[in-house]
Amino acid sequence: MGTKTKTKRYAMVIDSKKCIDCKACVVACKAENKVPEGVFRNWISVERSGDYPKLRMTFEPEQCHHCDEPSCVRVCPTGASWQREDGIVLVDYDACIGCKYCIIACPYEARYHNPETHTVDKCTFCVHRVDKGDLPACVETCPSKVRVFGDLNDPKSPLHQLLATRRHEVKNPQTGNGPQLYYLL
Amino acid sequence: MERRTFIELLGAGTLLVPPLACKLRGPIAAGPTNLNGIPTTCELCPNKCSLLAVVKEGRLAKLNPNPENPKSRAMLCARGNAAIQQVYDPDRLKQPLIRAGERGEGKWRPVSWDEAFDFAANKLKAVKEKHGPEGSLWSSTEGFQEVFFKNLGQAFGSPNVMRHPTLCLASMTLAYSTTFGTVPSFDLLNADYVIMAGANRFESIITPDTMDLIGGTMERKAKLIYLDPRFTVTASKADEWHPIKPGTDLAFILAMLNVILTEERHDKAFVETYTLGFEQLLEHVKPYTPAWAEKETEIPAADITRIARAFADAAPRAVFYAGRRSSWYTNDFQMRRAQAILNAVVGNWDREGGMVPNRKVAKGEFTFMPWDDPKASRVDEVEKAFPLANAKDGVYLPLRENVLKGTPYPVKAWMIYKQDPMHALPDQGKTLEMIQQMDFVGVVDIAMSDTAWYADVVFPESHYLERTDPIEVMPGIWPAAVYRQQAVKPLHDTKPMLDIAQGLAKRLGLSDYFDYTIEQWVEAEAKELPVPNGMEHMRKHGVVGFEKPKYGTTRNAVHRFVTKSGKIELFSERLQEAGHDPLPVYTAPAQPPANKFRLILGRKATITHAALTNLPWLHEHNRENDLWIHPEPAARLNIQTGDLLEVSSTAGTVKIKARVTPEIRPDCVFMLHGFGKKSAWLRRVHNVGAADSILLETAWDKVSGNAALHETFVKVGKA
Repeated sequence: MGTKTKTKRYAMVIDSKKCIDCKACVVACKAENKVPEGVFRNWISVERSGDYPKLRMTFEPEQCHHCDEPSCVRVCPTGASWQREDGIVLVDYDACIGCKYCIIACPYEARYHNPETHTVDKCTFCVHRVDKGDLPACVETCPSKVRVFGDLNDPKSPLHQLLATRRHEVKNPQTGNGPQLYYLL
Repeated sequence: MERRTFIELLGAGTLLVPPLACKLRGPIAAGPTNLNGIPTTCELCPNKCSLLAVVKEGRLAKLNPNPENPKSRAMLCARGNAAIQQVYDPDRLKQPLIRAGERGEGKWRPVSWDEAFDFAANKLKAVKEKHGPEGSLWSSTEGFQEVFFKNLGQAFGSPNVMRHPTLCLASMTLAYSTTFGTVPSFDLLNADYVIMAGANRFESIITPDTMDLIGGTMERKAKLIYLDPRFTVTASKADEWHPIKPGTDLAFILAMLNVILTEERHDKAFVETYTLGFEQLLEHVKPYTPAWAEKETEIPAADITRIARAFADAAPRAVFYAGRRSSWYTNDFQMRRAQAILNAVVGNWDREGGMVPNRKVAKGEFTFMPWDDPKASRVDEVEKAFPLANAKDGVYLPLRENVLKGTPYPVKAWMIYKQDPMHALPDQGKTLEMIQQMDFVGVVDIAMSDTAWYADVVFPESHYLERTDPIEVMPGIWPAAVYRQQAVKPLHDTKPMLDIAQGLAKRLGLSDYFDYTIEQWVEAEAKELPVPNGMEHMRKHGVVGFEKPKYGTTRNAVHRFVTKSGKIELFSERLQEAGHDPLPVYTAPAQPPANKFRLILGRKATITHAALTNLPWLHEHNRENDLWIHPEPAARLNIQTGDLLEVSSTAGTVKIKARVTPEIRPDCVFMLHGFGKKSAWLRRVHNVGAADSILLETAWDKVSGNAALHETFVKVGKA
């Protein structure tokens, strides 16, 4: 984690066990980012198993992983998909031609075609809020504080401390994308 | 200066995260927050969370949680976030409407406020002339402006002001106040052992309980024992889920008491000092052994014994959580009484991690001209039939029965504020009948509810984000007083309830009782808030809250509980005198016959009661309700997921799709509330799914009169 020398590297820690599937993060994201009906920048996966009465149900919040080596940026023919110095992966809507290569290339199915703007879209880590010193909308609104957002390169950040003290994993590490959503175990 | 300490705790600019937060045993903070918004208070459910409304160019851009309210725990749920869509909902009520066709036909004539007021006032006057003021009924659900609606009904002279508690938590509040003289809160942030029966806190969000329970169970590893016929989100997070046989919670609690008392695991010093009737209780619970309870509840006796011991051992940091939604069975009061007694004997009263009497934030009161007491007694005859119940709130279902019978006198006008009786009451057929026998029905709401759909006149209220409301005090372990101030100007030709009350009062000759403005009202309240410059503080912060709980203030020998004896009443003489069991007696509930199922209800975090299902951001997560049925009976009836079913009770029949799932007991079926709407102005849920209120039969708790919503058996088959 945080292998590159950068002043900041934004990342997110997710404590799925605390998630109650209440959709606060999903609706806050829709409101904050004006996401159209039917498409989502974040969502909650539900997994069910077992037989009555020994049942299990787990929830996992998902969104763009803001990878270190993002395949969406690699495949983009126009340079519309790009990455900031602090790791946040964005889409330049003016440069996006809506070819959807990136949607296929993303191992996390985090991108969608915006039917209103005819460009590809996805989670921005609420960059417009973060740049003002605020938290992403999903992080702030969460009733159970499932997500912790912060700078991976700041050893004093709660995010850094959590990763230093708690067992965690990333999704699909085999893709080599270097995802930056850390799920606590 | 408690508030300042709280802000310092929150605003240190760093995130408090587990495991740090759990060590603090204080509210969990969200970290840096965008404070550039108008502080106001959410109205999408009864929790009243503080939020900051971000307005750009006169339009609501975003609602963010306001971390200054210790009760709302620095969060805003999905519903709170979706409030913006209520304001800009194209189907919203935009101007007063008078019915142009038959009731329920959906033909409306948009009118001016003057015409709407004149029309309604004339109808009300006609009813008053013929039947007296008691011929009018005024029903409402809680809200900051409910006071103006109630006052109008009372000033009009009607004894029939019908509030919502008997569709809600009346059985619980009555049971706890009968025992303790007050209704306490449960300190889930600090409890080590929590037993929850049916109160599905992770889907039925209550602040701060939901957040504190997550903190407790997930961060401090507190134990959660959950009883529910359905595998809910709360069940999935619990250490143990016991799919208890419906209607037998009382047997489980009595058996816990049996174990704790016979093994002398109770808090003897506490029981001795603070309670009355221990000897009677000890004798009373003797027959209720775990082996007996196993047969009733289908929970193994060994588990009941183990849970009872662990509960007593963890006390005082152990609670049997009260729950607060509508009662389930006709013995609901006694079941909640047994919970209260169980909590009392382990001595968790007024202790950290236990059950804590509520504190309040002081505020001033606006004084207005009082009216004469009504001459007639209430049509629900609450004093006679339910002498222990809160007569001022009334008893809703007995009231409907009496109105339908026309006894003790006719009621012919029905004014309704912020409530949808078509869905809030069981047996929609009866509610429709009640509407149809009225000479006049007037509804105040923000959207065209099914009840509004059948009204004669609809008054569009301004949305909460367009209004300034009275200050509301929320008692609790972390009490707060909250303020709702206008964030944006009304988008349409709508008015706040106060203005609507004044418009009607003027035409009814009652203006003297409403001779004030909302600003005067709020200023009088703000004057006595425990902060300097209360009004200015509220405009700037929207909330005054206390972040530090106070434990033990009632644990002293001189404290007198507000009960008959001044003690915590395990045995209740008051109950005995009123003809009820002074200690909770178990009677086995009727079970569904072989070809039928018990219909059970429950909540989801994206729906409030029967409302909000039409908002796009919430509708995306609940497009249609379906009937949960266990695979075993489903196989027997050849039912597969997606099949259209016909479901019927003695009250009515609906068609609804099947969801075959092991997440429910084989003897129950479940459906969500808030679908199958008749109102075409709720376009996403109009005729989509089915309304549970069509199926639910009329039944109420014997002591409190609270609606009993789990007493209906339904027949299920393919449509």
